[in-house]
Amino acid sequence: MITVKDLHKSFGDLEVLKGISAEVKESEVVCVIGPSGSGKSTFLRCINLLEDITSGEVTIDQDVINDPKTNINQVRSQVGMVFQHFNLFPHKTVLENITIGPVKVKGMKEEAAKEIALQLLEKVGLSDKADAYPESLSGGQKQRAAIARSLAMEPKVMLFDEPTSALDPELVGDVLEVMKDLAREGMTMVVVTHEMGFAREVGDRVMFMDEGVVMEEGDPQQIFEDPQNPRTQEFLSKIL
Amino acid sequence: MIDALNSMLDSLMDSAYIKSLPFLYEGLKLTLLITIVGLFLGFILGAFTGLGRLSKNGFIRGISTIFVEVVRGTPILVQVLFIYFGISEDLIGVNISALTAAIIAITINAGAYIAEIVRGAVHSIDKGQYEAGRAVGLTERQTMRYIIWPQAFKRMIPPLGNQFIISLKDTSLFSVIAVGELVYQGRQYYNATFEVFETLVMVCIIYLMITIPTSVILRRVERKLDV
Repeated sequence: MITVKDLHKSFGDLEVLKGISAEVKESEVVCVIGPSGSGKSTFLRCINLLEDITSGEVTIDQDVINDPKTNINQVRSQVGMVFQHFNLFPHKTVLENITIGPVKVKGMKEEAAKEIALQLLEKVGLSDKADAYPESLSGGQKQRAAIARSLAMEPKVMLFDEPTSALDPELVGDVLEVMKDLAREGMTMVVVTHEMGFAREVGDRVMFMDEGVVMEEGDPQQIFEDPQNPRTQEFLSKIL
Repeated sequence: MIDALNSMLDSLMDSAYIKSLPFLYEGLKLTLLITIVGLFLGFILGAFTGLGRLSKNGFIRGISTIFVEVVRGTPILVQVLFIYFGISEDLIGVNISALTAAIIAITINAGAYIAEIVRGAVHSIDKGQYEAGRAVGLTERQTMRYIIWPQAFKRMIPPLGNQFIISLKDTSLFSVIAVGELVYQGRQYYNATFEVFETLVMVCIIYLMITIPTSVILRRVERKLDV
């Protein structure tokens, strides 16, 4: 589904990603862990070109997304992205946040988009918030609304950039629950996270990144219980 | 008692305070016309220039920046002289009316300041909003139109109101090219009647009758928008 080949990304002189290759198969849930500044968010943002790629190749479903000939808007509409700070549109209701994509990008009728939006809101447990504005929601509700917004585009892949890092601890559970449901339904997911419990329970594979490279990857059991790389060992010993 | 009041009222009605009013009213109409038309056009000019200053295209950014800097760096009095005498009469040899020159001057002058208002407001919108728009699949243009602009516009309202007050007062300078706006009318009136003090008091009162309510409304809007 996603193939990344020798991805490099520099901000000026600072090389943040130093040659990353990875593959994500359909319906796979890959969790990316690592210390802050390791480049994991940048890696995720390169997958839907929110960052320009310095060199290398990212392919989503046969489309090389950093090829200038590729219609990036088309690609982005098939890749959902959930942000750490939700980034809901504050001037639109929850419902409008969800329908804007289908209506403006896919040309769907308002009514049809609304129906989909209401189904999605039910799925993330926010049926009663359709007409509320984002500012009246709690952090957890905002993030679930943001997930619904991404799902409305019927993406093939969902990217999560530390989706629970900005949440109060007691609100994390609801968001993770929604993400688990998605994983169970077979959504292909790449999740940058500090929730090791989630990575262990839901992840099919865990990638440990540090200093702009993938230091180690493997199934969660192996990474968490028997890490091979000393950096992985050090990182896990600090946080577990 | 009543007689005294009556005679006071008579002398007031007979004074320049009241008698200048029909004359000044003609000026007020032009003042408002220049301000409103000039600001409307200035907003369009300012929106393009302000967005131009944020453009990725270096040429567009350069042109917009030069425009803003030149206009903000020169007095509006010089600008209107330039438009009325310098460019239209001297350089091109076309006579435009003083009123047209005045409207062009406000458009250009307010346009430069509004460009900075637009740039600041758009720039103040969290980058995450843009990213979220693009991540949903909206094009750059759609993201601007549906996501960034509506939020930025809200933040533009208070400074735009402020610009309205500034431009309204700037129109008084156009008396130098004999546009019959409020100050020009006032001068005409007191040159004929020699009632300078009374006339200028009335001119000030008329300005304040527009500017004070405007700033009161603005303060309310500001509180409501919470910006």
